[in-house]
Amino acid sequence: MSSSRRGQAKLAAQPNCSKIANMKKSIGDNMIPKDWDLARGLDLIKQAGYDGVEFWLGDMPWFQLTTTDADVRELRRKVANAGLVVSNVSTGLHWASPLSARDPKVRAQASHIVERQIETATLLGADAILVVAGLVTAEVPYNEVYQRCVDALRPLGESAARAGVKIGCENCNAEQRFLMGPREFAEFLNDINSPAVGIHLDVGNIHETGFAEQWIEIHGPRITRIHLKDTLKHRGRCGDQSVYTNLFLGDNNWPAIRAALTKVGYDGWLIAEMEARYRYAPDQQFYDTAQAMDRLIASRF
Amino acid sequence: MNLSRREFVAYTAAIGLPANVRPPAARHGCVILPVRGQCSLPESATGYARALADVNASLLVIPAVLEIPQNLQALIAQRLQTRGTVLVESGAGFSAGTAFNRHRDSLREVIDVAVGAPVNLWRGAAGVPYVDYTWPHAATIRDFSQAVAVPAQSGDVIANAAGLPVALRRRIGSGTLIFLGSPLGPALWAGDAEARRWVLAVARASAPPPAGAR
Repeated sequence: MSSSRRGQAKLAAQPNCSKIANMKKSIGDNMIPKDWDLARGLDLIKQAGYDGVEFWLGDMPWFQLTTTDADVRELRRKVANAGLVVSNVSTGLHWASPLSARDPKVRAQASHIVERQIETATLLGADAILVVAGLVTAEVPYNEVYQRCVDALRPLGESAARAGVKIGCENCNAEQRFLMGPREFAEFLNDINSPAVGIHLDVGNIHETGFAEQWIEIHGPRITRIHLKDTLKHRGRCGDQSVYTNLFLGDNNWPAIRAALTKVGYDGWLIAEMEARYRYAPDQQFYDTAQAMDRLIASRF
Repeated sequence: MNLSRREFVAYTAAIGLPANVRPPAARHGCVILPVRGQCSLPESATGYARALADVNASLLVIPAVLEIPQNLQALIAQRLQTRGTVLVESGAGFSAGTAFNRHRDSLREVIDVAVGAPVNLWRGAAGVPYVDYTWPHAATIRDFSQAVAVPAQSGDVIANAAGLPVALRRRIGSGTLIFLGSPLGPALWAGDAEARRWVLAVARASAPPPAGAR
C-alpha cells in the first residue's frame, strides 16, 4: 500500500474527526459560586475553556421567572461579551411544580414554567430547554404521571416547534421514579409524537439501572443535549453522600459512552453538571472538568 | 337521540368539551357534561367518556365540577324524573376560600347536597388512603389526594376514604343522584380497571334510556 493510500486508510478509520470538532462544552450558571456575580462567573467559564453556558431558570438571582424580557436580553449581551453563547435553558422548578401534579393550579404553573423556558431560550439565542417531565410519588401513581405528562407535553411541543426550540425531557431515573428504562422512555416520546420533544440525556443519572451508552444508542437523533457527570454506583441514593462525582472518578464507562456518541453521530453540546462541588478553590472544578471533557471529546482515555 | 332538542341545546350551551371528549350525543344514553369553565380536571371528563363510550343507560355525568350553573337544575331534575341516574363529581378538592364556598353553595342550591371543606387524605395517613366503595358493589380505588367530605344527610354513604364519608347516593323520585367527593374520572383516565368496573356497574344499575332513544 502506498503511503498516500495508507494515509487515506488512516483517515477512513477516523470518520468522525469533523464531528469531534463540532462538539461544544458548556457548564451551568448554577455552578458559579454563590458569592460571585454573573460577569465574574462568565469570565471563569470562558477562561476554563468552555464554549457556552447553561442557564438554570429559578436557580440564580439573575435568571428568575420574574426576570423581564429586557433583562433576559441583557443576560444574552453579557454572555456574548464574555465570548460565550447560551447552550440551553434548564430548570429545577419542576421538582416543586411538576407537569404531573394532581392540583390543576400546580399543573398550570408547570406549563407556564416550560412556556417561559421556551420564550427565554429564544431571547437567549438557544434552541433547547430541559424539562423534568414528571414525578412519581407514593401519592401520585405512575399511570397518572405518564398520561398527564403526555397530555401536557403535546401542546408544549407545538409551542416549542413554533419557536424553533426543542424540549429535552431529562432522564432523572431514580429521582423521578419514572421512565426507568430506555425503551420505556422511547415509548413515552412516541406517545407524545412531537419532533420538538426529545430526551436531554444525563449520563450520570442512570446509576445502576442500566448503561448510559445503551441509552445513547437507543435514542440517537432524539437526544437534544447531554449532561455529563460521573456516578458512584455503590453509594446508591441512601444517606447524605452524593451518588455523583467528577468525570472519570466514578463507574460510568466513558470510552463506551464516547464510542456510542460517535456511533449515533451526536456532535452537539456536552454540558457539565457537577452535583458534588469542590470544598476549596471552587474555580478549579471548572478547569478540571473542562479538561476532562476535552479528553472525552478527543477519546483520549 | 334520547335527548330532547331543548335538552340538547341546554347541554351544549353549558359545556366546554375538551377536544378528545366525545360530545354529549349520547347515542347510548350516557351524557358526559364537563361544564364550561367549571370542570377543574379535563382528564376526568376524558376518563368517563372513554369508560362509558358504548354503554346503554340513562346516565348523566357532571365530572370534576366546581360551580354547577343554575340552568342545569331543570335538566338534572328531568333526568331524575325519567328514572335516570345523575352522577355529580366534585372538582373542588384543591379549592379553598371563595372558590370552594361557591362550589359548596352551588351544590346546595342545585342538587341539595351538603359538603364539608376539602380534606388532604395524605396528611397523617398510614399507607395509601384508598376510597372504599360499598355500592353498587365493593370496590377499592385510588384516592385523589384531596377529597370533599359528605356529612350526614338524606341518602346513603356509598364510599369512605381514611374513615371519611366521601360519596353519597340518594333516590329522588324514580331516579338516582350520586355525588362523589373524591374524583373517580382521573382513575378511569389513567386506566384503572377497578374504577372502570365500578362506573360500569353504576351504569348497569341505571335505567335504560327511554324508548325511542337511538
